[in-house]
Order: sequence, then C-alpha cells, then structure tokens
Amino acid sequence: MENLKNQIFSSYKRNPVLYDEIYDKKGQVKEVYSKLFNLYGEHSISDFVNLNEKAKASFFNQGITFQVYDKKKTKEKIFPFDLFPRIIPPEEWAIIESGAIQRSRALNLFLWDIYHDKKIIRQKVVPMELISSSTNYLDQMTNIDPPGGIYNHISGTDVIKHNDGQYYVLEDNIRCPSGVSYVICNRTALKRALFGVFNHYKTYSVTNYAENLLDLLETVKPNGVDAPNVVVITPGMYNSAFYEHSYLAKTMGVELVEGRDLFVENDFVYMKTIQGPQKVDIIYRRIDDAFIDPLEFRPDSTLGVPGLFAAYKKGNVTLANAPGTGVADDKAIYTYMPEIIRYYLNEEPILNNVHTYHCSRPKELKYVLEHIRELVIKPVDEAGGYGISIGNRLSSKEVERVKAEVQSNPRKYVAQPILSLSVHPTYIDKNESFEQRHVDLRTFTVLGKDKEFVLKGGLTRVALKKGNLIVNSSQGGGSKDTWVLKPQ
Amino acid sequence: MSLEYFITYKAENTYEEWVHEAYWQFLVVPEENDSQQFIGVDFNNSINARHEFSINGYGFKTIRVHPKDRFKEITFEANFKLIKKKINPFDFKPEVDRVKSYAKIQELDFKVDFDAHLKTTVFTSVPNEKKGLFEFDKDKSIFDNLLALNQFTYKHIQFDAHATDVHTTLKEVLEIRKGVCQDFTHLFCALARANGIPARYVSGYLHQGNGYFGDSQMHAWAEAYVPYVGWIGFDPTNDILADTNHIKVAHGKDYVDCSPLKGIVYTAGKNKTVHSVQVNGQNQQ
Repeated sequence: MENLKNQIFSSYKRNPVLYDEIYDKKGQVKEVYSKLFNLYGEHSISDFVNLNEKAKASFFNQGITFQVYDKKKTKEKIFPFDLFPRIIPPEEWAIIESGAIQRSRALNLFLWDIYHDKKIIRQKVVPMELISSSTNYLDQMTNIDPPGGIYNHISGTDVIKHNDGQYYVLEDNIRCPSGVSYVICNRTALKRALFGVFNHYKTYSVTNYAENLLDLLETVKPNGVDAPNVVVITPGMYNSAFYEHSYLAKTMGVELVEGRDLFVENDFVYMKTIQGPQKVDIIYRRIDDAFIDPLEFRPDSTLGVPGLFAAYKKGNVTLANAPGTGVADDKAIYTYMPEIIRYYLNEEPILNNVHTYHCSRPKELKYVLEHIRELVIKPVDEAGGYGISIGNRLSSKEVERVKAEVQSNPRKYVAQPILSLSVHPTYIDKNESFEQRHVDLRTFTVLGKDKEFVLKGGLTRVALKKGNLIVNSSQGGGSKDTWVLKPQ
Repeated sequence: MSLEYFITYKAENTYEEWVHEAYWQFLVVPEENDSQQFIGVDFNNSINARHEFSINGYGFKTIRVHPKDRFKEITFEANFKLIKKKINPFDFKPEVDRVKSYAKIQELDFKVDFDAHLKTTVFTSVPNEKKGLFEFDKDKSIFDNLLALNQFTYKHIQFDAHATDVHTTLKEVLEIRKGVCQDFTHLFCALARANGIPARYVSGYLHQGNGYFGDSQMHAWAEAYVPYVGWIGFDPTNDILADTNHIKVAHGKDYVDCSPLKGIVYTAGKNKTVHSVQVNGQNQQ
C-alpha cells in the first residue's frame, strides 16, 4: 500500500530472500523509516535526482576524492553517495557500540600480552604459529610499554547484518583504518541538501569526531610532556586517503606533515618550521609500519622519518596506532576473537564472529577445497578487499586457480561461509531508480588512557554493482549517511 | 688474564653527484657484556658532521650521523678500546641430562621464550628439499650436535670472498657452496633452528692473529642456546667456538638485524663505499 503512493519507490523491486533494511518481511516499511519514507514520497524522482547531483558536485568542489590503484594507472574518484540515509535505531546501536568497544579493548590487551609475557599463547588459547609466522609481528616491539598502555588507538570495526537480522563483525581494522572523513562529509552534504528531512529525526552528531580524537590522543602523551604537540603524518598526496589525512589535521587543528618535514635529534622528534625546529610529541600516523623508519624497517622507504622508532622506544613520542598492531588485524587472529574476548575481559562477545576455516589446518583445508563454491576465500594479510574470491561467483577455471593458490600457501588463506549482507534501497544513477544493494557498516572506536569513544554513526558502504558483496571503496563501493537515533 | 683491544672501523663513501641529505646509522660499537668491558669510543667523520648515540629496536647501541651540509665524499672512523676477558669456550657446566635437554626444547614455554630465534627469516630459510641437510643425533648431547653442525657448515661451504654479497639467499649459497662468514652463519642458524635450537646471528670483530678467515671486514658468527647452559658462540667459518678473539657488537635473527651500516642517501649518480676494519690486541695482566 505504501509503495503505491510513494513515487520514488514505485519501481523498487524487493527480493524477499534478502534482508531489507527498510522493508520488513511482509513488505511494510519499518517504523523507524516510515517518517523518512513519507517525506521522500512527497517528491518525484527527478526532484531527488536534482538534489543528489548538487550534493555530488559539492564533493568534487571540496576535493573529497580518493585514488584507486590499478596495475596500470591510478584514478581519482569521488566516493559515490546518495541522499537516502541509513537509519540505525538506538537499541541496535547500543549493541554495535558496546561490541566495538569490547573488541577494541580486547585487542589492545591482546597486543600488550603478545609483546610482553605472551600468556595467551602459553595457556594455549591461541596457537603460537599465529604470531611467529605473522609478517606483521614486530620483534622490535617486545617489552616496549606504549604510553597509556594503548596500542590500537583507532580501530575500524566492520559489521554487517546477516539475513537473521543479527550483526556480525567482518573484520577489525587496527592499522590505519580510513573512512571517517566520508562519514562527516556525507552528513554535511545531506544536511545541506535536506535539512528539513534531517530535522524530523533526533540523530547523533558525527562532527565531534576530531575533537574526541584529539582529546583521547592527548591522554596518551609521553611522560613529562605538559601540552603535547600533535601532528598527522601522511604518505603524501598520492595516497588514496590523502583527503582524509588533511581533513583530520585541519579539523583537529594540528599540522599535517610528511616524513621529510620531521627529523629526529637525540631521540626527540622535531618538525621543521620557519621559526625553527618544534618538538613533536604525538604522531597520528597514516603510514604503514614498514615505512615509518628506514633505519629500523624498510630501508628503501622515503615516506618515514629516520630514527623515529628509537625515539618511540625511548618513550619520547607517541605513535598512534602503535607499531606492530597489524598482527592483531590479521584475518587469522580474527577467528580467535571470541576466545580473546573471553580470555582478557571475562565477558561473552557482544557481536557475532563469522565462522572461519583456517587453511593452515589440514582438516579445514580439505573442507575448504571441497566446499569452495559455498565459501569466501580471503588472504589473511591484505586490506581493502584485494585478493578476495567468492566461491559461487567463480568460473570453473577460476575455481581451479584459487584451489591451487590456496594449496600452495595455506597459511595465507582463511575461508568463511558466504554471508548474506543486508540490503538497503540505494539510488542507482544508471537506472534512475532505487534498487536493493548490499551494505555494511564501518564503525570507528578511539581508545585513550582510561577513556574511550565510539563515533555514533559510521560509514555505511554500499556495493553498487548489483548482487556484489564487496563494499570497499577501492572495489567500486559507494556510501550512505548513517543516522544513529537518540533514544526517545 | 685479559686482552686489551684497539679496534678501528672505517667507511669511506664517495658519490658522483652532490649529496644534499643523508642519514647513516652505524651498528659497530662493541657490546658491553660479561667478557667485554668497554673503555671508550672515539668517532669522527671527514666533514665534521654532528653524530649522536642511540639504541636501536633490538637494544644495541648505534651511532647516527645526519650532515647539515652537502658533500661528495665522507669518511667515518670509529676507534674503540675495550678489555676482553680470556675465555676458555669449553669451560662451562655441561648439560645436566641429555633426555631432559631434548624434552626442554619441545616445551611450549621454551618455544615462546625463544620464538624470535627459532623462526626462519628470508636469509635463514633452507629450501624444502634441503630441510634434512643436518639432523641431530639424539644419542649425543645438544652441545655435541652443535659442534658437529659447526664442522658440517665449515665443510659444506668453501670460503670465497667474491662468490656472494649481502643479498645472497641460502638457497643460492647451497647451490654454489661458496660464501663468506655471513653465509656460513646463516646456514648454521638455519640448521640449528630446524632442529629446534634457538640460534642467533652475531656481528662483531675478529682478531685475526691466528690465520682465521675474516678478511679485515666485520665478522659474523652464531650463538646457539643450549638448554640449562645458555648461549654459546660458534664460528662456523673457522670451525671453532667463539673465544677471546671474538668481539661481539650485536645479535639478531639474521644479517638484516645486524647490518653495520644503514644509510639513507638522497643523491643521483653512482656511489662507492669501502669498509675496513683493524683489530689490534695486547695482553694484559
């Protein structure tokens, strides 16, 4: 019935097998979306398109773009966006938020442990191979106490809703998770275009991210520093997330630097300025571990700061995130998250984990090879959706290739059942209509000394290709503003 | 009884084009330990650039240089003075009990404690088909097996100063069976680890009074951990145990952790580096 009087959804095709975020099983618009649905319904699709185009143009004009890497060339793109938001009701958000904090805290304790006594391994909760064979484990971090005891200051927890209506964590990103600037820009664009609509809901603000980030980073300043000098270090303007690096520096009110703007003297870090060297105390680094210091890690890195690690080891500078955190966002560690949470926090996991098969275990490898068509095969150490194979989408030739690859390097792969990500009505330019597209949600958690913050919102990523399950921006995904509603 | 050593480390760098920015980090200062008492270091360079001391990620002392002016040539010279106790490498309490020792290396706690020096690295991985190149004889003690491994390594590779370089992998070394101290040490470490014994790469100086191989460069040898005994130094290039002639600088998983000179130099054109080392010793009462 609602469908009939709503022009912009008149051609919306609902596949009842999929979990739709706005329609319930009977095809009725869910309570939480009904106001929005009616407001949009008063307009025609061309009204919507006009507004949408304006919103997109503002992204271009502000330079909110990212780069996509290809074998041949890199391209600058805007992150596709549409003006129909995703709404998360308070009771669902409470689960996501407490679950994200729980995971971030557990991972932080895990990192402390594996760089100190390694109790979790000695007590056989996780196998030693996970660490000794991980290329992201840094021996140099052994027995270093990071300021405030924090390793993963910033975590990006990716969750999806399965067709059972429950949230599942897909992965924990605790190296340099990106995307938060889009959350804020999406909100700004939506509010500018549709303030009247936005105003009908009591939605949490997302623009307080930068001030909270700065506040929490300052809680982990080095010992003896009074008013810490914070900088953001970027690999430079050719990095896919450069816009975000500059955005975060600007909104925190701190300097954005590249490696060549910093130097180390007597194990202190300084920034070159026209007034002379200025000491730096906290570095939010958006450069991977391997590149942060050519004297300690990759010698061919021109992005880092020679001597930075020695300054860090001495406790003279805070690095966020700490070096060596990558070992914990290895997808093989992910599979032990329920055990890790129970071990350190003595709590049951709040968010579900997706069952994972370790190809390094002969029995599970056998299962994976026999059921490859029902599984997603993921390399354990790649980010951004690169190298993922979805079993039921492979040609028989590709199946053989993936099987051979997995067999030749089983430690490198894990496999998970193909999840059915929930779908959300998404405006599709090409067809000038709303269609169901799969979505996930990246949340952002910040840990400080005895303090934590979860951004009440997040980046809803949309797989724009019909039926596609990979939502990463580098794989052609789009995004949506995400409204977390305040309790009534 | 002890020996007083005077060590000179020299690195001469010449560049075709002006160098406008450069960082160097030297890992050449002898370690202070039970048998090495450090007296002093004098470090200088030909362009009077400032230097500073620091500690690297593995806890070893480094010297860093970051010149503020451009240059085409720079020579570094470090002079060290230290006292080395006379060591009889065979003077230690032998393993308590062979069976107990072999049981020890199977324990999870042991594997966790020594993980860093049990895992293989790019430079210490033996190709699959050669994994069983040297297998321990469980009827002998771990120490005796390590002595045999030392000799095996010494015989398996022929010393040749020109056959390999710092990038040569074990796979290639095992094909040509020629190499320098670094290659001998990598092979020793790889095979000790393959048998469950923690082994670490040691970089340092060798006093060459006795016709040992070492070619007036920095030397490399290995330390292996014998349960209930401790770390023992093996020099597979010379088929001896490390002794008073071995002056240790640093240890690590392989050469990469211990490379004496790391430099980031921004320049076009070619460059050349010549290293030299001199070790002089004198008996002390």
